[in-house]
Amino acid sequence: MDEHYIKIGSVEKLLQSLQDPGAVILCGGTDLVVKMRQGLLSAKTLLDISDLDQLREIRQERGCIEIGAAVTFSQIIEEAIIGEQIPILAMGLRKLGSTQIRNRGTIGGNLVNASPAADSAIPLLLLDAEVIIADPTGERRVQLEDFLCGPGKTILKQGEFLSGIRVPIPDPEFLPFFHKVGRRKALTIAIASLGALLRMKDGVMDEIRVAAGSVAPVPLRLHRVETMLVGRRLTPQLIKQAQKIVPQCISPMTDLRATADYRYQVISDLLARLLLTVPN
Amino acid sequence: MKIRFTLNGKEILVEADEETRLLDLLREDLHHTGTKEGCGEGECGACTVLIDGRAVNSCLVLAPQVDGKELLTIEGLARLSQPVSLSSADQGDKCRLHPIQRAFVEKGAVQCGFCTPGFIMSTYALLLKNPNPTDEQILAALEGNLCRCTGYLKILEAVRYAAELMRGNI
Repeated sequence: MDEHYIKIGSVEKLLQSLQDPGAVILCGGTDLVVKMRQGLLSAKTLLDISDLDQLREIRQERGCIEIGAAVTFSQIIEEAIIGEQIPILAMGLRKLGSTQIRNRGTIGGNLVNASPAADSAIPLLLLDAEVIIADPTGERRVQLEDFLCGPGKTILKQGEFLSGIRVPIPDPEFLPFFHKVGRRKALTIAIASLGALLRMKDGVMDEIRVAAGSVAPVPLRLHRVETMLVGRRLTPQLIKQAQKIVPQCISPMTDLRATADYRYQVISDLLARLLLTVPN
Repeated sequence: MKIRFTLNGKEILVEADEETRLLDLLREDLHHTGTKEGCGEGECGACTVLIDGRAVNSCLVLAPQVDGKELLTIEGLARLSQPVSLSSADQGDKCRLHPIQRAFVEKGAVQCGFCTPGFIMSTYALLLKNPNPTDEQILAALEGNLCRCTGYLKILEAVRYAAELMRGNI
């Protein structure tokens, strides 16, 4: 009889086991086990990668930090180089789930799960992170923005897996901002969230990156807002103009947690809050 | 399938179906019913246990995933400690309580008691790493545990008191 659960000990074994179209990767289980119990997912074979050491490392190399897909949120938050070099990531992940969820849930799982509300995606989008996709022929890197396609959908094809995330270390002068709106602080699926990295120079917006979650089929960058702010002085008029562009960048829907109208308003307000708090 | 792990300091070998949750393995197969099932989806923390020193929701872990790991449940926590006399009633050996359990009893942080094992395990995981936490750190460590009776103030007091007890200040 075929095994239903396989503890994966090597990348080679994982690639080989993924040839079976009925195989599903299991890691922290914080999303998967719930889906299995609700009957939303049935797997012929579960490939457990939670003890696969090759995917559990955080490495720094030439201007980048590489985080293995099976690294837990707690590991990332506690890792000194993350706090020093990419504080926005630790800042965002502290708002994810609860202590228990962060101790099990993994960065790769959060991205592959591809929720429009995925908390880890906001800081990673701001950081221009790339995902590393492995298949039997080798590895390729793709911008996270191009990896996420829709609710629960990514570009991953059968036989491939997400092996890690590559984060370019940002300029230490970037100011981080992350705000998540929900019914409570812990264990909340964001109603809407907004994050930013920005740098002012001589009173002018030198560079800004803005990303939002739960307001479109995927977490996304607000490129049009970024473009209109760069090189400008932050005046009350400019902030109002930037807010007016927000609806062109997002496409929220009404669901159990909030209405689309509320989400338009919240993102617009969070953008104003962000820009009003920037020290000149 | 066969699963071998350390449960409360004792190495055990059990046979379980591959999709069994750790929570069910503990309660149904091993009769460790101190760990409770609340929501079954990681929201309430009633099923919190420690795997290799970290608090996790046992409802979100599949039993085979704990193979080779070290598990601590509320039953093990009681066994870790010396018998104590409670201020209210001295019940000798029957009252083998960990200082955290003692603190929850003495500070009235228990009402219906269903969430209590989970809160105590989360508290233990916190105090293992941080023997002198601030209120903010306590609340952050307990954010994955829900209590519908106490309003949390008594629980916060109990954790502060437990930290003092464990540091030997009282």
